[in-house]
Amino acid sequence: MSKPPNENLLTYILVVVGDGGVGKSALTIQFFQKLFVTDYDPTIEDSYIQHTEIDGHWCILDVLDTAGQEEFSAMREQYMRKGDGFLLVYSVTDKQSYENIRNFHTQILRVKDRDTYPMLLVANKVDLVHLRVVTEEQGRELAVQLKIPYIETSAKDPPLNVDAAFHEVVRIIRNQPPPVDKKRRRDWWKRNRRCTLL
Amino acid sequence: MPWKMAMISTSDVRVEECLKIKIGQAKNLPPRSHGSVGWRDIYCRISLDQEEIFRTATVEKTLEPFFGEEYECEIPRKFRFLSIYLCDKERVVNTCKEKVLGKVAIKREELHKYHGKDHWFPLLPVDADSEVQGKVHIHVKLNQFMKSSGSGSFSHRLYVRVIECNDLTIINGACDPYAAVSIFYSSSKQETKRTKVRKKTICPQFDEVFYFDIPSKSHNQEKDVFKILEEDIGSVELRVSVMHDSSGLFGSVFLGEVKIPLHGLDIIKGHNAWYFLKPRDHHPQQKIELGSLRLKIYYVSDHVFSSQFYDPLRNLLLSSSKVKPITSSTAYVLGEIVTNKIDAAQPLVKIFMHHGEIVAFIKELADWEISNVKDPNTIFRGNTLVSKCMDEFMKLTGMHYLHETLQSTIHYICMDHKPCEIDPTKLRDGENIETNMANLKDYVQRTFRAITSSALVCPQIMCEVFAVLKDSATLCFPSVREVRYSVISGFLFLRFFAPAILGPKLFDLSTDPIDPQTHRTLTLVSKTIQSLGNRVSCKSPQQLFKEDYMVSFNKSFITEHHVESVRVFLELISSSSGAPTPLKREIPLILKEGMMKKRAQGRKKFGIKNFKIRYFCLTTTELFYAKAKGEPPLCHIPIDHILAVEKLQEESFKMKNMFQVIQPERALYIQARNCVEEKEWIDILTKVCQSNKNRLREFHPAAFLNGHWLCCKASSESAPGCHPVTASVSANIRVHIDSDREVERIHTIFFNHMNILENLIESCEQQAVYTGEQGMTLPPGFVIEDIQSLWKTLKAVKSCVITLEQDHKQHLSNMYRETQYGSEQAPIGDDNYLVMMAQHCCPGNNHR
Repeated sequence: MSKPPNENLLTYILVVVGDGGVGKSALTIQFFQKLFVTDYDPTIEDSYIQHTEIDGHWCILDVLDTAGQEEFSAMREQYMRKGDGFLLVYSVTDKQSYENIRNFHTQILRVKDRDTYPMLLVANKVDLVHLRVVTEEQGRELAVQLKIPYIETSAKDPPLNVDAAFHEVVRIIRNQPPPVDKKRRRDWWKRNRRCTLL
Repeated sequence: MPWKMAMISTSDVRVEECLKIKIGQAKNLPPRSHGSVGWRDIYCRISLDQEEIFRTATVEKTLEPFFGEEYECEIPRKFRFLSIYLCDKERVVNTCKEKVLGKVAIKREELHKYHGKDHWFPLLPVDADSEVQGKVHIHVKLNQFMKSSGSGSFSHRLYVRVIECNDLTIINGACDPYAAVSIFYSSSKQETKRTKVRKKTICPQFDEVFYFDIPSKSHNQEKDVFKILEEDIGSVELRVSVMHDSSGLFGSVFLGEVKIPLHGLDIIKGHNAWYFLKPRDHHPQQKIELGSLRLKIYYVSDHVFSSQFYDPLRNLLLSSSKVKPITSSTAYVLGEIVTNKIDAAQPLVKIFMHHGEIVAFIKELADWEISNVKDPNTIFRGNTLVSKCMDEFMKLTGMHYLHETLQSTIHYICMDHKPCEIDPTKLRDGENIETNMANLKDYVQRTFRAITSSALVCPQIMCEVFAVLKDSATLCFPSVREVRYSVISGFLFLRFFAPAILGPKLFDLSTDPIDPQTHRTLTLVSKTIQSLGNRVSCKSPQQLFKEDYMVSFNKSFITEHHVESVRVFLELISSSSGAPTPLKREIPLILKEGMMKKRAQGRKKFGIKNFKIRYFCLTTTELFYAKAKGEPPLCHIPIDHILAVEKLQEESFKMKNMFQVIQPERALYIQARNCVEEKEWIDILTKVCQSNKNRLREFHPAAFLNGHWLCCKASSESAPGCHPVTASVSANIRVHIDSDREVERIHTIFFNHMNILENLIESCEQQAVYTGEQGMTLPPGFVIEDIQSLWKTLKAVKSCVITLEQDHKQHLSNMYRETQYGSEQAPIGDDNYLVMMAQHCCPGNNHR
C-alpha cells in the first residue's frame, strides 16, 4: 500500500441511509475503526473522514451516518443534496426495513432530479441466519428493480463485505459517465445549453 | 320509480381540507442581469388564489436556494389555485423591492395528483394577465322589435345586465373595479360601454344595464324569425372585462374577462349565469427557462357526514384493543395495508384519544410487538405501527409540554449564538476548540436541566402510556434491567426531544430562521442529549465508539450524576398510579401569538378609531396585545370576559379576514393577516371561551358604525344581537379532535386498498381449507395468527366500507342534482364541474 499523496485529493461524500436499527452505524464504525459495537446508540448525524486507496487511486472518503427514525426525515433532504453516493441499508431480519428501501431510493432520485444516481443496496446482518426473513433472491430482485448493485454484509466480527461495500460505491461514482460538475453553480448557463442540445 | 329515501342531505356534509407543503429547493434560476454579481436573495410565498398565507425565510446569494421549510394548515375557504411564488429581494439603494421570478400554480382539482410525492415543478412566468381570479354574474337577453318603418322586418336589441362580481384580485392593496362590456359584431366592428367605478371592494355590486342595437343584415323580406335571428347574432360575441381603476400613471389594470358567444344561448328567453373570469388571450410566447422548484405536497380533502354514519366503522376500530390476537384487529389490518404506517397511525391515535382508549390501545400493540422481538436492544427501533402511533401520540399530547420544557432554552441558544464546533476538521479560523467546548457544555447543561426537571409538568396521559410500555418491556425481558429505561428514552429522547432540538422550526419551538452555525450547534446539542438519554440503557457506558471528538467530549462531560438524573426522570414520568399531580402552572402557557391589525376600541366618545398593527398573544388565561413582542401589554382581555368570537361581515369596514372578540362593554375588531390565520384565531379563541357561563346566544354580524348596527340598523350600541352565534353547532365539530373526520379518513384508506382487503379475505378462506399453505397475495410481512378472527374482522370492515361508499355515491349524486351549471357555486368555466358531470352521467355511476 502506497502512502497517501499530498496533493489535492478528490473527496467523495458517501451517505449511509436506511431504517432505524438496521446497522448503519455498525457498518460505518466497522469500516472506519475496525470494531463491532454491541451497544445500540441511535445516531442523529455522525460524520467520518478517511484517506483511502481504492483500485490504486487515493481519495478522501467523507461518510455521513444518518438517523433511521422517520422523526428525522425532515433533515434527510439536507444530506441527500450533499451526497455523491449512497448506501441503502436494510436488515435481512426486518422485512419493513427492506420495504422502506424504495422510499429512500425514490427520494434520492427526486432530490437529485435524476433517473439514476450512484447507490448500492446493502443487505446487512446476514450473520443472523436463524433470524433471516428477507432472502438473497428478494434482495437481488429489489436491486434489479431499482437498477442498482447488491451486496450482502455483516458488521459483526469477522466482518463480511464491509470494506467492499464502501469501496463499491466509490467505484460506481467513478464509473459514472460524466463526472459530477463541482462548480455547477457558476456553469449554470453551460448546463442550460447542454439541456437544449439534449 | 321507487326512490330510496335520501338519507344524506347535502347541507349535512362538511368538506374538510388539509394541506401540507414541503418547500425543497429551486434550481436553474436565471441570474440577475444587473449589478455586480449574478446572485439573488430568494424566498417563496404560498398563496390561496391571490391571498398570501405563508412566506419562507430568504436564502441569500444563490441561484439554487434550498429552503427545507414545511407549512401545514387547514384550508378555511374555497379556492381554485394553490400558487407558490418565487421572489427575489432586490435591494435598490436602501429600499427592498420584490421581484417575482416565477410561479407554480396548481388547480385545486389537480392537487391530489401530486399528493405525497416530491416533484420538480417548472416555474411559469407571472404577469397581471395570468393572475386572474374571481367571477362575474351576467344577465343577457335579446329583445325583438317590429321595425317602425312598417316593412314587417325585425330589429334586435341586446340587453346586458352586469349584476355583480366576486373575489376580485387586489392590486397593490386596492381594488376599485369597473366592468367594460363590449360587443364584437361579425363585421369586426365593436362597441364598448362601461359601468361606474365601485370603490374599495372586491365584490362590486354593479347592477347596471346596457343596450346594444344589433344591426340587421337581412334586408330582404325574410319571414322566418329564427333565420333572421341566426343570421344577425350568429357571430356576435359579448365580452365583459373587469378592470381596476388605478389612479396612478398606468391607468386601468386588467382583472379578468369573460367571452360569451351569443350563438347557442337561449337568448330570447334570457341567459342568467355566473362566469369565472379568465386571463386575456395570449399569443404563445417563446418559452423562457425560468428554472424549477421542488415541492412535496400533501393534500387531503374529505367529505364528512354526520356522526351516525361512522358509528359501525368507529366501533370496529375502537374494539381493536379487545380483539385477541391483536393481529386480527381492524387497527392492525389498517396498519398493514398502508404503504406508510404514519398514514394509519395519525387517524388511529386521534380516534383512540378522543374516546379515551389510547392507553389500552398502545398497550396491546406494544405487548404484541415486544413479545415478537428477540433482541431487547432493538425494541421500537424500526418504523412499526406502534412506534408511529407513539410518535403521533407524543405530538398530539406533548406539544405544550415540549414548548414549556424547551422553548426558552432553544431561544437562549439561538440568541446567544456562540460557536460550538468541536470537530477539529470543521473548526473555522480564529476559533478555539476549548472555548467552543465550554460553550457547548453550557448549552447542553441548560437543555439537560430543562428536560430532567420537567417531569412534574409531563401530561398525565403521557405518563400513563410510558408506564404501560415500561411494564410490558420488563415483563418480557425480566433479566434486562436497562430495558425499562430504554423503551421510554427511545421514544421521549430519540423521537421527541432530539428531533425537536435539531429542527426547532418544525416543532414551532422557533420562528426565526436558523443559520448554519446555529444549526450545527443544535445538531451537537441534540446528539449529546440523545446520548445522555440512551446512556441509562448501556451495559458498558465507557464503550462508545463513535466520532472521536464526540467520544472525548462525552467523556469529559457525562458524569454518573447525569445518568442518575435521567434514571430518576424516566422513573418519575412512568410511574402510573403514584404519578405526581401536575403542578398548578405559574406561568400561563402561550396558545397562539402573532401580528394582527385591530381597530381602536373606542374608550373615548370621540376621536378617529383607526387601525393599528399589534402583537396579539392568547394564553391559557387571557388575550392581550402590545405594540410588539416583548413590549408591555396595552390591553388585557381575561378569557371569561370573552362572550363570543365571530367573523365580522366584510362590508363593515370593507376589509377581509375580520373577526370580532365580543366583550361585555364592546367588541374588539381584528383583521387577521390571511384566511388561514383568521380561521386559526377564531377556532382557538372559540375553544378557550367555550365553557364561559355568560356566553352570548346572539351577536351582531356587522359593526356598530355611525350610531347604528350595520346589520340590524338598531341604533343603541347595547341592542341585543340580531343573529344567533355560530358556535353552538360548530363548537362540537371543532373540539380538539374531530372523530368523524378521522373515521372518514380511515374509510378512504380502506376503500383505496379494497383489493388488498379482498385478497386477504380470499387468503383466509383458502387457508381455512388448505391449511398451512401461504397465500401469495398477502401484503409483505403480513402475519396471520388466527384465521377465524381475522376473517371475521375483514368481512366486517369490508361491509362497513361498502356501506359508507354507497352513502358517498348517494351524496355525490344529490350534489350534482342540486348544483346548477352557471350558478354561483358552479360558474361557467369551472372545468372541474364538467369533469364531475361527465363522470356522473356515464352509465354505471348513474343511479337510474
